[in-house]
Amino acid sequence: MDRRTVLKGLAGAGSLALTGGLSAPAIAQGAAARTLRFVPQANLANFDPIWGTQYVVRNAAAMVWDTLYGIDSSFQPQRQMVESEEVTDDGTTWTFKLRSGLKFHDGAPVLSKDVVASLTRWSARDPMGLMIKALQQELTAVDDRTFKWVLKQPFPKMLYALGKNNSPCAFIMPERIAQTDPFKQISEYVGSGPLKFAKSEWVPGAKAVFEKFADYSPRQEKSSWLAGGKQVMVDRVEWVIMPDPATAAAALQNGEIDWWENPIADLVPVLKKNKNISVDIGDPLGNIGSFRMNFLYPPFNDVKARRAVLMALSQEDYMRAIVGDDNSLWKSLPGYFTPDTPLYTEVGGEILKGKRDLDAAKKLLAESGYSGQPVTCLVAQDQPITKAMGDVTADLLKKLGMNVDFVATDWGTVGSRRAQKTPPGQGGWNMFHTWHAGADCVNPAPYTAIRANGDKAWFGWPTSAGTEKEVTSWFEAKNLDEEKAAIGRLNKAAIDDVVYAPTGFFLSYTAWRKNVSGVTKGPLPLFWGVSKSA
Amino acid sequence: MLSYILRRIVATLPVMAIVALFVFSLLYIAPGDPAVVIAGDQASPEDVERIRQSLGLDRPFLVQFGSWVWRILHGDLGTSIFTNLPVSAMIGQRLGPTLSLMIVTLLLTIVVAVPLGVVAAWKAGSLIDRVIMGFAVFGFSLPVFVVGYMLAYIFALELEWLPVQGYTPLTQGFWPWLENLILPAIALGCVYIALVARITRAAMLEVLQQDYIRTAKAKGLGQGGILFIHALKNAAVPIVTVIGIGIALLIGGAVVTESVFAIPGLGRLTIDAILRRDYPVIQGIVLLFSFVYVLVNLMIDVTYTLVDPRIRY
Repeated sequence: MDRRTVLKGLAGAGSLALTGGLSAPAIAQGAAARTLRFVPQANLANFDPIWGTQYVVRNAAAMVWDTLYGIDSSFQPQRQMVESEEVTDDGTTWTFKLRSGLKFHDGAPVLSKDVVASLTRWSARDPMGLMIKALQQELTAVDDRTFKWVLKQPFPKMLYALGKNNSPCAFIMPERIAQTDPFKQISEYVGSGPLKFAKSEWVPGAKAVFEKFADYSPRQEKSSWLAGGKQVMVDRVEWVIMPDPATAAAALQNGEIDWWENPIADLVPVLKKNKNISVDIGDPLGNIGSFRMNFLYPPFNDVKARRAVLMALSQEDYMRAIVGDDNSLWKSLPGYFTPDTPLYTEVGGEILKGKRDLDAAKKLLAESGYSGQPVTCLVAQDQPITKAMGDVTADLLKKLGMNVDFVATDWGTVGSRRAQKTPPGQGGWNMFHTWHAGADCVNPAPYTAIRANGDKAWFGWPTSAGTEKEVTSWFEAKNLDEEKAAIGRLNKAAIDDVVYAPTGFFLSYTAWRKNVSGVTKGPLPLFWGVSKSA
Repeated sequence: MLSYILRRIVATLPVMAIVALFVFSLLYIAPGDPAVVIAGDQASPEDVERIRQSLGLDRPFLVQFGSWVWRILHGDLGTSIFTNLPVSAMIGQRLGPTLSLMIVTLLLTIVVAVPLGVVAAWKAGSLIDRVIMGFAVFGFSLPVFVVGYMLAYIFALELEWLPVQGYTPLTQGFWPWLENLILPAIALGCVYIALVARITRAAMLEVLQQDYIRTAKAKGLGQGGILFIHALKNAAVPIVTVIGIGIALLIGGAVVTESVFAIPGLGRLTIDAILRRDYPVIQGIVLLFSFVYVLVNLMIDVTYTLVDPRIRY
C-alpha cells in the first residue's frame, strides 16, 4: 500500500463524515482513452473566428467549422465542402456545387444560403475577402447546393482565399449565425466541422470541450492539414488552459494531460528525457521575428537610418535570445518569406548576410542626420519573444550610439500605443517588436506586415512603391514561375526600403504522451487522425 | 448587535460607490485597448475603430460610467467584452475553486499556525521557540510560486502522491476535491501560517505575563487548560484581526497560486481580464473583492464579541 492509497483512505473516511457520502463518478478506462486532453498555446477567450482573429480561436474553430476548400501541406487548395467548381473563360464567374450529405451540428443540412451568408461575413473582415468583395458583382445561391460568385474582373487566387489557413478562415456557419454583424460576436456555436463545441462546459480561461460529431461526413482522401478526410478518432477533445509552462510540463510528465501544443524551449530538454513523451517540431512554418520602425518620424523616416540598423543587427543574437542554444530551432532569414515554402527567396537580402559591420552602420546613421534624439522603443515584457528581442535591440541601438528610450510595458499597451501616429514624445513611438506566424508569410495575400502603402499599411506605416508594385504583380501572376519572379522583386524592394526588420526564423516544439498517436506537423494543431490508447 | 450589523452594512454602500468610481476611472485612463486585442494583428485601424464603436468604448467617460452604474444598480455586472458571457456567470464559474482554496488554506492556517504560536510562546526562548520562529521567517520569506514548484516537484512528480494541477468540484467527491487543493493550500498558506504563528506567539506572551495566569497555575490547573482555555481566549482578539486581514493576503496570493496549479479560480480570471483589458470583468471582480473585504471586516468585528465579552456594540 503506498502513501497515496493511505491518504485516499483517510480522506475517504472524512468524505463520508462531511459530505454524506458524495463520491467521484467512476471513469472507465475506455472513456479516459477516448478523451484527448490538450494544452493550447493560449486561452480560448472568445469563439467567433471572424470577429476575433487570434490564432487560438482559429485553431479551435477549425475543429468546429469546415471550409469550402482546405490548403494541404503542398500549399494547394483542395476541395473540402465543395464537390465541384467551374469558372468562366474570362475568370469572372465562379460556380460552386456543395457535396451532398453535409450537416450542421443541429442536424440541419448545409445549404447554399448558409454559404452565401458565411462568405459575406468573412469577406467583410479578411484581407483577401475584402479584395474579392471590392471586385464582387453578386454572390448568390442558385439552388440548395449551388452558389455563384460573379466578379467585375478575374481574381486568380479565389480557391486559395477560400481554403487558406490564415485567420480569419472562410468557415461555413448556418445562415442565422452568419448574418451577425462581422464586428459583433456570435453567441451560438453551431458548426459544420468534425467536432461540436460543448458550450455548457466552456470555462473561458480554464477549459473548452469539443465532442465528436457523429453525423460529420468526412472526405475519402487522406487528410493533409485542412484538406482531406477529417477522421476524428476520439470522443472528446478537452482543452485545458495552463498559463504556467512549468505546470504544463509537470502535468504532461505526470500523465494529467496528453498533448502540449507549444512547450517553451527551456523545458524541452526535460521533456525529451522522459521516456513516455515524444517531442517534435510542431509547426514547420514557424515564425518570423520582427521589429518595425516608424516611417513617420525621425530618425527612421530616413531610409539610411533604417538601413543602418539592418546593417548592424545580428539575427543570431535575436534567435539565441528566443530559442536558446538549440540550433535546430532557428535559421537566418535574409528576406521576408517563410523558409522551405515555394516562394521563399533571398533576392536582395545581402545586407542581412555575413559579418555585421558596425562601423559602416554608424557612418550611415550619421549620414541620415541622426543627432542623438531619443528613440522610443516599445517592448512588451509579458511576451517572452518580444522581451528577448527588445533586450537585444536595446543593446544594438546603444552600440550604434543611439539614445534609447526603452519603454518596458505589456502587450496590451503595445497593442494600443503602436496605433498612435503622434510623435514619439507625445504618446507615439519609434519602434516596436512583434513576430509573424510563418503561415502568414508564405505569400503576400495574408501578409499584412509586408504591405507598404503608407497610411493604409500596418503599424509603422511604411511607404515603398516598389514593394506595392510587386504585391500587385503577385496577385496577377498566372503561374508559379511568375509568382516566384514577383516575390523575388518584392523581397528586394522591401529590404531596400526596410519595410520592417526581420530578426530571424524560429520554430517551436510540440510534445505529447507516447500513448497518443497520429500527431502531425502543420500550421495549427490538427486533431483528426489523432488517437489515444489507455 | 443587529442594529450595529445593519448600520455597518449600510455604511458599506458609500465605500462600494467610491471603489466603483475609483476602479472605473483607473481603467478608463489606463493604457491599452480591448478592441486592439480582439481585432488581432492583421486588423486595420478602421476595423479596430468599428469594434470600439460596437463595444461602446468610443462614448464619453460620463456616459460609459453612468450606464455601468445603472446596470450595477439593477444587479447586472455586464457582459465580458471577449467571451460575450455575463460577468456574473463568469464569476460564478470561478467562485467555487477560489472559495475552496481559501477555505482549505484558512483551515490549514488555523490548525497549524495557532498551536505553533502557542507552543512557541509557552517555550519562549527555548530551542523549540527558535525553531518555530525560524520556520516562520522561512515561510514568510519564500515566494508562493517557489513553494508551489517545490511541492509539485516533490509530491506530484517524484512521489506521485498528489496531482500537479487542476480542480475538481466537491460534488464529484471529497477526495478528488481535496487532493487538488492540498499542495496549493500549503503553498498559499506558508506566508499566512508564518504571520499568524508570529502574532499568536506575541499575543500569548503578553497574556502569559498576566496575574490571572499565575493564579491559574497556583490553583493547579494543567498546562493545556491554561494555554488553550485561559490564555488563548484572551489573546484571541489580535489573532482574529490578523486572520481577517490575512484574507487580503490570500486573495493576492490566490492569483499566483491558481496560475501555478492551474486552478480555474477568480485569481486567474483577474489576471486574464487585466491582460486583455476586459473592463466589465475587471470591474466586477474588483467590486466583488471589495465587498468581500468589507464583509470580512464586519465579521471580524462581530467575532470580537464572541471571544471577548467586554466588547459590546
